[in-house]
Amino acid sequence: MTETAASAPKTVARRPARRRRASAARLIVYPALGVLALLVFFAVFADWITPYDPLKQSLMEALQGPSMHHWLGTDDLGRDVLSRLIVGCRIAIIAAAEATSIAILLGVPLGLFVGYRGGWWDWSVMRLVEAIMSIPGIMVAIVIIAILGPGLHRAMIALGILFSTSFLRLARGVVLSEREEVYVRSARVVGTGDARILIRHIFPNVAPPLIVQATLTVGAVLLAEAGLSFIGIGVQPPNASWGTMLNTAASYMQLDWFLAIPPGVALVLTVLSINLLGDVLRDRIGRGIAVPAARPKAPKRPPKTAPAAGAPGRRPSPVPAPDAVLDVAGLDVVVTAGAGDEVPVLSDLGFSVRKGETLGLVGESGSGKTITGLAILRLIGTTGRITRGRITLNGRDISDLSERQMREVRGKEIAVVFQDPTTSLNPAFTVGEQIAEILRTRAGLSRRAAMARAVELIGRVGIPNPAERARAYPHELSGGMAQRIAIARALSCNPSVLIADEPTTALDVTVQQEILDLFRDLQEEFGMAIIFVTHDLAVAADICDRIAVMYAGEIVEEAPVDTLFSAPRHPYTAGLLAASPHGATRNPPLPTIPGTVPRPGAWPEGCRFAPRCPHAAPACDAAIPLGDGGHRVRCIRADTLDLRRSA
Amino acid sequence: MTDAPLLELRDLRVSYRKRAGLGLRTTSFDAVKGATLTIRPGETLGLVGESGSGKSSIANTVLGLIAPAAGTMRFRGTDLAALKARYPSGLRKDIQAVFQDPFSSLNPAMTVEDIVTEPLRVHTNMTRAERRARAVDLLAMVSLSEEHLNRHPHQFSGGQRQRIAIASALALEPKLVVLDEPVSALDVSTQNQIINLLYDRRDALGIAYLLIAHDLALVHHISDRIAVMYLGHIVEEGPADRVYTAPAHPYTRALLDAVPDLDPAQQRARRARRRQLAPQGTQRHAETGCPYSNRCAQVMPRCRSDAPPAYAVPGGGTAHCFLLDPGANGAGHASDRKEPALP
Amino acid sequence: MLRLIVQRVLALVPLLFLVSVLTFSFTSLLPGDPADLIVGQQGTPEQYALVRHRLGLDQPLVERYAHWVEHAARGDLGTSFFNSVKVSDAVMQRLPVTASLTAVAALIAIAVGLAAGIAAALRPGSAVDRIATLGATFGQAIPNFWFGLLLAAIFAVGLRWFPATGFTPISTSVGGWLASVALPAIALGFASSAAIARQVRSAMVGVLQQDYIRAARAQGLSSRRVIFRHALKNALVPVVAVLSFQITVLLGGALIVEQVFAINGLGTLAITAVRQQDIPMIQGIVLVMVAIVVVVQLATDLLYGFLNPKARPS
Repeated sequence: MTETAASAPKTVARRPARRRRASAARLIVYPALGVLALLVFFAVFADWITPYDPLKQSLMEALQGPSMHHWLGTDDLGRDVLSRLIVGCRIAIIAAAEATSIAILLGVPLGLFVGYRGGWWDWSVMRLVEAIMSIPGIMVAIVIIAILGPGLHRAMIALGILFSTSFLRLARGVVLSEREEVYVRSARVVGTGDARILIRHIFPNVAPPLIVQATLTVGAVLLAEAGLSFIGIGVQPPNASWGTMLNTAASYMQLDWFLAIPPGVALVLTVLSINLLGDVLRDRIGRGIAVPAARPKAPKRPPKTAPAAGAPGRRPSPVPAPDAVLDVAGLDVVVTAGAGDEVPVLSDLGFSVRKGETLGLVGESGSGKTITGLAILRLIGTTGRITRGRITLNGRDISDLSERQMREVRGKEIAVVFQDPTTSLNPAFTVGEQIAEILRTRAGLSRRAAMARAVELIGRVGIPNPAERARAYPHELSGGMAQRIAIARALSCNPSVLIADEPTTALDVTVQQEILDLFRDLQEEFGMAIIFVTHDLAVAADICDRIAVMYAGEIVEEAPVDTLFSAPRHPYTAGLLAASPHGATRNPPLPTIPGTVPRPGAWPEGCRFAPRCPHAAPACDAAIPLGDGGHRVRCIRADTLDLRRSA
Repeated sequence: MTDAPLLELRDLRVSYRKRAGLGLRTTSFDAVKGATLTIRPGETLGLVGESGSGKSSIANTVLGLIAPAAGTMRFRGTDLAALKARYPSGLRKDIQAVFQDPFSSLNPAMTVEDIVTEPLRVHTNMTRAERRARAVDLLAMVSLSEEHLNRHPHQFSGGQRQRIAIASALALEPKLVVLDEPVSALDVSTQNQIINLLYDRRDALGIAYLLIAHDLALVHHISDRIAVMYLGHIVEEGPADRVYTAPAHPYTRALLDAVPDLDPAQQRARRARRRQLAPQGTQRHAETGCPYSNRCAQVMPRCRSDAPPAYAVPGGGTAHCFLLDPGANGAGHASDRKEPALP
Repeated sequence: MLRLIVQRVLALVPLLFLVSVLTFSFTSLLPGDPADLIVGQQGTPEQYALVRHRLGLDQPLVERYAHWVEHAARGDLGTSFFNSVKVSDAVMQRLPVTASLTAVAALIAIAVGLAAGIAAALRPGSAVDRIATLGATFGQAIPNFWFGLLLAAIFAVGLRWFPATGFTPISTSVGGWLASVALPAIALGFASSAAIARQVRSAMVGVLQQDYIRAARAQGLSSRRVIFRHALKNALVPVVAVLSFQITVLLGGALIVEQVFAINGLGTLAITAVRQQDIPMIQGIVLVMVAIVVVVQLATDLLYGFLNPKARPS
């Protein structure tokens, strides 16, 4: 659930580029289709539209340049170049169709079979494919043609066999990855037979990449056919193909260079059109499968500029508490979505955290808890934007620092520990190097001193044999060990604020408890403030001094940890507590919160929890401010409701 | 609960083979090292363990996705282990599953109708219209409607997808459904909706569940009995309430203590106690004797040499721990976890 | 690292065996009888039998294969059917030509591909990205021999900056060698540089979205450091995987481009051999090419292991 939260801005981030490509795609698709339509037209009606007999020689007219009679001139034997070019279209289409179908018919079934069957079949067929692929393709074609003899159809059989290897590998690759998918496991549990799984469940997922590959193969075949004809073992003279025409042109390069232009341009245009279509198809098909679930409905009029400070539900940002290490006030963040609209993901966010204190940001996916941490560091990428608000670090306003100044803050004053330690450490370097690098570049230590300190830090986070472990790569460590390393790296410059983004979610419970203890010990020693982002209320209960509960991009309740759990004042907090397996009584039905978390952009007006709230009243339709004091709550009925846990 | 067992695993062993080096040598690794379990009709057994404990291997073996290396697996009298993961249709439709990740467990290329009716196509002679009618019923059962039939999985939220997966798993009215972490990929506020749905169906159809999960609190809520796995061994088994409130095996206790409590004050107290009793050492696997002996705070010399047999636990169930040996001094082992016996 | 090398080298054994069997059996399937061609229409059956015996064609296929492999292992690839030239001599004489053309083309392809790919990936959607993408699209659509013809027409025939044909060995004159190899190598390397640029771009874009890049930025490392130290090493992993394939493609392409510039390399030798059905010659050429590919593959495998710690045997 948390990864959806983390990936949501990413999905959004990719959209504008796609959109630009989509409009550019139209610019590409129509001309490319036009070229191919023309090619087909020429191929079909070649006999009627060629101005001259493409084979008729007229030595008197040899090697003439373009003229009124011969638009594209004549070749060495006085044959009309335009007519030969048009006939070449037919050859090109026959060649492409023949070789590509042979490649598909040979490669795909074999690839599906060996991929699904696996074992000895797979091993031996793949060794054979590797052997063929280690011989340069043109050499394989030459040898096959040597066996079959030259000529268009034989050359195409050769190319078909050659290109079948790429279809085989593609089909096999897709099957290998798909057969591990849970949906294939589900189908097997249902009792679906192997053949049916292969054809009905897996094949539809092979088809899209297959279409793309087929398109690209057509282009490759055309180039290869031209190459073979060019060196004289493909289409045989006097028949006209673009390759043989180029062969002729090569011999007369010094006399008449123009001969090389028409067939070359025809070839390039055709292959270019096909490849471009293939690219567009790849993007399209990729998108078809990866559509994000229920696209967020963008508000009709996106608030390009933030509402004025006097907007309802919003109070002027208070002056930061004097003892706050980090203070966030009135923060609004938007990300660019689908049609270039900006969707708000955080609104009117405010909290502060003191030295040595741990503040929990608790929420479900889409609540904006992760993006809060990234926004403080200004790491929300090019699509995310802070539209309003102030961030104060140790009494200094850092919201309008330059990127260069901000870089100084990152790591040194505010550091982060991410959710998944196995992906947040660079797989290509040893863990010791990764910590030492920070110490070298950020703290100015010498290479030797940095490594010594790195080893010391690795020992400090509770890893035995630190000197030896420093030489390990991330994949050689368990999840818990890797997270300890990530914590050591974050603390290497002694930051005053540590943002921990779901640092224990990817870990087992017994390991989680060790990591939580480590955070507590390190905080005692280093005295940093911790912002602890989590979806798990129980974890927050364990580690936090104060908790801010987030829902749909805003804080709905904030209170000291004991108060929040014993006397929640917001119905959402109360609902979460009741729904937690620790809190509920044994045996279903368990208490539930109806409905689902609204996605950014689909937030209701007024109280965003109202549609799911059992206590909703008409007055909830208006925007509601977060209260003041030690226990802040964003609910107009907070004073009248008693939400204390009956347990 | 007095009926004959629905599913009975005895000394089940599951191994994986890995190609090493050039792919000529294979090494084998035991994910499950002899598991014995019983599920009665209509009962829910919660199987709890951390990653690498072998709980998912048991699920995959029961589902016939992997053949066990040794042991027996009796389902309504038939030994599934002897079938080498090739279940006949009659058996297959009695054992269904709901998997963890609703985003990858539904085929992106198929419609909801295809997904829900797939079991019917394979196992019944229903016509297309009949299947469609049944699909509408099934969707209604999981609070979805006919209009959803022609949509593709990517148009649904995680919770909705899990409902579709449940509808498909229940289409054939199976006797046993394996729930492999059915809610751990969902939002906290939607988890309980799915749990309630599963339990509503259990009561209506009399299905037995094998619930695989890592969250002991969740498992306690909804299971009749709980089995705890550690490194391929089932270390403790018994009635859900007894295991949760009075764990007999030190590992079960460590697992329970590791789950934070929602009450901050109580949690502080637990934390203080836990740090005294914290698992020792970092080496996870003991070669001989009790698999937990390398981390156990209450380890005795014999734990390192002998494998503990199953001892009966007061209040029901068994645990593999010498502390329960009535003939030894470990008999003083308290089973109330509020007051642990410190060594 | 030593274990990795040993493992990789051992893995090549089945490959080499399979390729030798493939090469041998395919070329033995050639239609027509070389003895027929040599003896000619007027030959007597005795002459014919004698020639067959001299060529070893009267022995069973398996024995011929064993005989061939045994000699090939010692560097003896047999004798041409048509002139009594030793195959190994003929191939070795042409090999430096084709090899230097391929090597220069590979260098161009890698340098241009890396630079364009990285530049495009840093700012997706920017002008640089679009130009690089457009260039790559064209690069993959233009046949190398036609590109060679154009280059020759402009820079050799028109501007006379480079020789239009022929090859100067590097031992004769380094400058002359470079001049003679420049145009063909550019013609040959262009398409591969496009392929590499695409691969680099997509790998780099993917890597830049990874958590560890976010983590490196969150530690306040400079962009340059994040890109060239943290991202590039990971992005090169999939690139290296296609590199050996691209070099195979270049080697094959060289056979054709040689024809454009009238360079006497392996290409001319191979085409003549196919026309004459000179079996030992074809076998020899294929085997030498595969040997080159295998060495390149080994090198890229080791590079892969260096870049990707997960690929190293533990």
